[in-house]
Amino acid sequence: MDVRFSPPLFMQRYQFVIEFVKKFAPRKVMDVGCADCSLLSKLKFHRHCVELLAGVDIDCAAIRQRMHALAPLTCDYLQPASRPLTIELYQGSVTEREPCTRGFDLVTCIELIEHLEPWEVERFSDVVFGYMAPRAVIVSTPNAEFNTLLPGLTGFRHKDHKFEWSRAEFNTWALGICWRYGYTVDFTGVGEAQDSSVGFCSQIGVFQRHPELNVPVNNTPVEATVYRLLYKVVYPSLQDNNIFHRTLVSEVIYRAECLRRAWEEEEEEEEGVAGQTVYRCGRSVHVPLLRVWACPRVQALCADLHHLQEVLLGDSRVQLDANGGAVVLPGDEQEGEEEEEEDCGREEFAMRPAKCNIEEDWDAEIG
Amino acid sequence: MTTLRILTLYSKKQVNEKSKFQGNAAQAVVEENYLQVFRREQRLKMDPSKPPFPRLPGPTRLPWLQPSGGRGVLADRPPLGRARGLAVAADRLTAGGDGVSVTSAVQRGRGAPGPAVEPAVGFGRGAPLSVGGRGLAAARGVLGSPPEPVVGKGRGMMVVAQPAECAVPPQPSPAVEVPEKVPILQAKKESDAPLKTLKDVSGEGSSLVSMFRGMGVDPMESWARGRGLMGRGPGGGSTVDTPPRVGPVGPPSVGTGRALSLDLIHSGQSLLGRGVSGVGRASISPVGFSRGPAVPAPAPTPTSAPPHGATPVSKDAPVTPEHPPTTTELKMEAALEPLKKAGTKGCPVAVGSNYISILCRNEAVFQYHVTFTPNVESLSMRFGMMREHRSTTGEVVAFDGSILYLPKRLDEVVHLKAERKTDNQEIAIKIQMTKVLPPYSDLCIPFYNVVLRRVMKILGLKLVGRNHYDPQSAIVLGKHRLQVWPGYSTCIKRTDGGLYLAVDVSHKVLRNDSVLDVMNVIYQQSRESFQDECTKGLIGGIVITRYNNRTYRVDDIEWSKSPKDTFTMANGSETTFIEYYRKNYGITIKELDQPMLVHRPKERSQPGGKVITGEILLIPELSFMTGIPEKMRKDFKAMKDLTMHINVSAEQHTQSIKQLLRNMSTSQEALTELDRWGLQLSSNILVTQGRTLPMETICLQSASFVSPVSVDWSREVVRDSAISCIPLCCWAIFYPRRAAEQAEELVATFGKVAGPMGLRLDRPIRVEMRDDRTETYVKSIHSQLASEPNVQLVVCILTGNREDLYSAIKKLCCVQNPCPSQAINVRTLSQPQKLRSIAQKILLQINCKLGGELWTVNVPLKHLMVIGVDVHHDTSKKSRSVMGFVASLNSLLTKWYSRVTFQMPNEEIINGFRVCLLAALQKYYEVNHTFPEKIVIYRDGVSDGQLKTVEHYEIPQILKCFETFPDYEPKLTFIVVQKRISTTLYSCVADRFGTPPPGTVLDHTVTNRDWVDFYLMAHSIRQGCAIPTHYISIYNTANLTPDHLQRLTFKMCHLYWNWPGTIRVPAPCKYAHKLAFLSGQYLHSEPALQLADKLYFL
Repeated sequence: MDVRFSPPLFMQRYQFVIEFVKKFAPRKVMDVGCADCSLLSKLKFHRHCVELLAGVDIDCAAIRQRMHALAPLTCDYLQPASRPLTIELYQGSVTEREPCTRGFDLVTCIELIEHLEPWEVERFSDVVFGYMAPRAVIVSTPNAEFNTLLPGLTGFRHKDHKFEWSRAEFNTWALGICWRYGYTVDFTGVGEAQDSSVGFCSQIGVFQRHPELNVPVNNTPVEATVYRLLYKVVYPSLQDNNIFHRTLVSEVIYRAECLRRAWEEEEEEEEGVAGQTVYRCGRSVHVPLLRVWACPRVQALCADLHHLQEVLLGDSRVQLDANGGAVVLPGDEQEGEEEEEEDCGREEFAMRPAKCNIEEDWDAEIG
Repeated sequence: MTTLRILTLYSKKQVNEKSKFQGNAAQAVVEENYLQVFRREQRLKMDPSKPPFPRLPGPTRLPWLQPSGGRGVLADRPPLGRARGLAVAADRLTAGGDGVSVTSAVQRGRGAPGPAVEPAVGFGRGAPLSVGGRGLAAARGVLGSPPEPVVGKGRGMMVVAQPAECAVPPQPSPAVEVPEKVPILQAKKESDAPLKTLKDVSGEGSSLVSMFRGMGVDPMESWARGRGLMGRGPGGGSTVDTPPRVGPVGPPSVGTGRALSLDLIHSGQSLLGRGVSGVGRASISPVGFSRGPAVPAPAPTPTSAPPHGATPVSKDAPVTPEHPPTTTELKMEAALEPLKKAGTKGCPVAVGSNYISILCRNEAVFQYHVTFTPNVESLSMRFGMMREHRSTTGEVVAFDGSILYLPKRLDEVVHLKAERKTDNQEIAIKIQMTKVLPPYSDLCIPFYNVVLRRVMKILGLKLVGRNHYDPQSAIVLGKHRLQVWPGYSTCIKRTDGGLYLAVDVSHKVLRNDSVLDVMNVIYQQSRESFQDECTKGLIGGIVITRYNNRTYRVDDIEWSKSPKDTFTMANGSETTFIEYYRKNYGITIKELDQPMLVHRPKERSQPGGKVITGEILLIPELSFMTGIPEKMRKDFKAMKDLTMHINVSAEQHTQSIKQLLRNMSTSQEALTELDRWGLQLSSNILVTQGRTLPMETICLQSASFVSPVSVDWSREVVRDSAISCIPLCCWAIFYPRRAAEQAEELVATFGKVAGPMGLRLDRPIRVEMRDDRTETYVKSIHSQLASEPNVQLVVCILTGNREDLYSAIKKLCCVQNPCPSQAINVRTLSQPQKLRSIAQKILLQINCKLGGELWTVNVPLKHLMVIGVDVHHDTSKKSRSVMGFVASLNSLLTKWYSRVTFQMPNEEIINGFRVCLLAALQKYYEVNHTFPEKIVIYRDGVSDGQLKTVEHYEIPQILKCFETFPDYEPKLTFIVVQKRISTTLYSCVADRFGTPPPGTVLDHTVTNRDWVDFYLMAHSIRQGCAIPTHYISIYNTANLTPDHLQRLTFKMCHLYWNWPGTIRVPAPCKYAHKLAFLSGQYLHSEPALQLADKLYFL
């Protein structure tokens, strides 16, 4: 093929979806015919509001190939995101109804329908638009009219394609869908030719459901019954209470330690507003919560001081003083105890005379 | 973590499409890429100074084979260059042997390293003849002017060796060999000369074999690896696969014997590199061998490990009737005899180790050669085409673009068709079976390791650097803003005991701060020296990026660049960093004016042959720090918080390993993955029998005592006189005014404790300084040394932990005004109740520095010189590395001569080594009026991948050194010391794991099949797990037996005078380390030669 697109066409299709996700802000997105999950792995970076990313493909080997690449990165654990994200991958057919696929905001079918037999397209339409009934659907498929620009191409672009539609054919099918299932459609595409009369290389239909048809979405998770769950991963996020607590406590302790160190260096000279200075109480050091909270990192996690106090009171990793107004840090342990540990507890042993060893001579042994 | 998986910004862009090639192994592996991934890692492991390995050269790329049979090319290089070239090739070859560089075997250019290696081998091994120097000269001759016939014989022998060893009567077996070869060679339009040679050579070979055998039972316990060799050589039986590659060698100009040998060698190598070298050696000089005692006494059978002999044999049995032609090969591999490396001295003790035995349930793994006609250049296209034929090959495939491994047998030749999408050209694919490998073959190990990585990922572990970690079990240290992730470093290896999964428990320290955060903190603390501080704190650090799981070493900071700058992407378009990250990862960079971090990847070539160079720029905001912060390292309390989690006891260690095994065995997905290649893990940690070496007798001047079980004699050394004490008549002590009191007390205490230790100590010259500035110290010391040239020792009391001051004093006293010096931190003197014992320790140290001798152990070898070598790499200035060299001068091993050399990058260590060795020999002669007859070198800091380089390059150079002196041919034993290893030993009492006692040695089962090696735990463990030190005897013309090697090593571990007990490495290594560290870290130049015969660096 001499017609090369830059960026490559598949990237342009993905970019189109990404832009749409940015504008449309869906919470739950499903990629139907996800193959090796390359669109999903892009979307996990450009997730905006997405909280659930699902992928379905009939070919479980294709999914398995790279599915572990969808796992959270190291840094997702180091700095948990504020929004949750779950990724689920299923093996299943888009011509079958699966309860857990209902209630999505966006379903993408990128270069999928041309792989279906014409009679399957009917079933597909019914399942996706009638049964799954997401708020929006993106369907992309080759534009047969563009094929004339692809040199050396005889027949379809891929040998598994069962058909390739002209723009008119695609429009007819799409408008039929809109009429039957209550959607509106916008036609567009990616991969423009110089000769614009043939249209885009990939034609795209963006379907949106009539708003009045939207029913409140049931958010209780449904277990897959027809599809087979191949992979599921929940990203660490601050919505997870444990992670939130852990992160917050870490920040609080760190901040308190910083304040304490600064205070120790200044040799307790500082005379500040009452209740705002670090002070020593017995062996331990008290750091006012207000000053801890003043740290932007802490505030970002917990905008409300009372909330902070509540969280910390319920957490054993941080100790607050009696009225909950200060973080109590334990005093310095005695130093140097450990250094000479090796010398302690070693009993005297009597000097043992050297055993009368038989004189060894390795030279003789070597010969 | 020093070698990083890297890619340039350019390739970053391509990563989505091409991540197969570049992506991190974990993400990118699709089955076809097993080998590819492996290869990439392999490349990373390799030394950058080595020429890139020829990859997929295709028929046009065998340049060195063209002129005249392989040696021509090398011959016209200068000798040094040649030697190097050889060594390098040899290195690769070995790797094949230990399962690492199957790369070499797998690639089509495989033939190439074969011939290149051969002469080197002949040289390296031929040299150590125990007969003496004549053999050496002869061997050298081999290198200089290749004596074809000799070499030819050597190789020829291998041909015969194969059948001979496979328990088939020798006569008929060549016949088996020939028919296999004939059709192919002819088909390839080779002249039939090679064939003839084959016959000739084999005839000749058989006599050689018998000769070889005869040696095998040499009563003198000479070290022959004959049996092992023959057992391995037979890899050559599979020559079938080689003709297609050796094709271009054919021209008649090539010496006939040679042409064939190439082919043999290379096939031999493909199974196990060793076979070749061994045979070559044997033929050159059948008199003495450097390793592996002749009598193939089997190692003590490990209790739970699969016995090496038995398993393979039983495995073969069913195969034999089914595939008669292949049984030879399987048998060959089975017949492998381990090197004789087991000692007998000491008490047997049950020892556990972190190895899990692996059972291979596949009968065999089949190797095929895949050709595409017309040729398909693109690897990805080749993968694609093969993928379309999954119905033929099955789902379980390891394919590198030309060599295909399957767990199932296809027809001898399978013809398939595919269509090239770009031009609709029909491509014929021919899959030809080339080998039937035993499932535990070294060639299989790379893709087994890929399988293992997938399993780790299936278990939810995250790949960070090279190891896998469990973020779910992270330990968060909020106080220090860091997390410790527990995890594992795992690897499948083939050792003397069979196929094992080696598991080590590993911890990764990750920080919650981005590099930008760290920079901000630095900025707040030191605005003026901000850039300097950043450079100090960040360079050399490892960062992990936010948008992928890759780690990079920070090599520099580019202050003049910012994310607003642009860079050129692979397609030639320009984009800013901001835009790039926004578009590809949806990341908005907040700080637009941050500098950029620079990572300079080691030069390497991609699978396509494209060489990647240039820098990678990273955004501080998007990079997280890993590892322990430098500041924290110095904070004793903080480190305690941390080490509490990291130092696990043997009990915890084994628990973690067992947990991993449980997780593997309960995950169906993981089991399925392993089962694809028929791998089954044992559920138990390896337990076998080790030994505790006899305790040594420590000798002081008159007193002597057997080392206590605790290997600690700190009391004894202060109670009795040391072997020799230098009277301290004239010494000066420097201290700032505020430390006057401590200085006074120290001097007083010195006076009290010196007597019993046998030390004579006069009153010092006291120099009180008005402040503790560095210049004040330097000035005072300098003027004192100038006015009083007889000063024997400079003692300085330092206030605080000040590296610059320490460095200044040491520079002055080690380089400018050579004089032994002792720096003492005032804090160590602050506790009166401990002052006495501290003063004793300091006095011992001072005595060493002056040239006194503390204690020794008896080494029953006469005229011995023991040398220790270690290299220090300065992480921040990676330009230079420093080699410390320490050699013993007397029979008590109490006098040491030390030297230091600095190397520029890519400069071979051996250059400096030669200078040091010559100087040490001269000094030895001065002291003893004779040269040492036996030299034992302990060389620290050699990785597994460099062993061959050492053997083929360094050792010949060392031998050459001896020629400097007329008629001087000492025996040499060269032992590589590896302390950073992943092998752990446990004591094992009543099913509970603990730490083994000092002196525990393990010399079988987990040892390396290619070398005489052993694991020795010389030190006593106070905390954490017992990591032994790995010793590899690379060369041994001194003919030290395994017992000698082990015991000598253990003895040497007793002789480090800064520690009244055993340490984990031989004392000369530790001295060399100390010396290199001092020179590299503080002196930055060579210390003065006047000090070379004292341990001034302690």
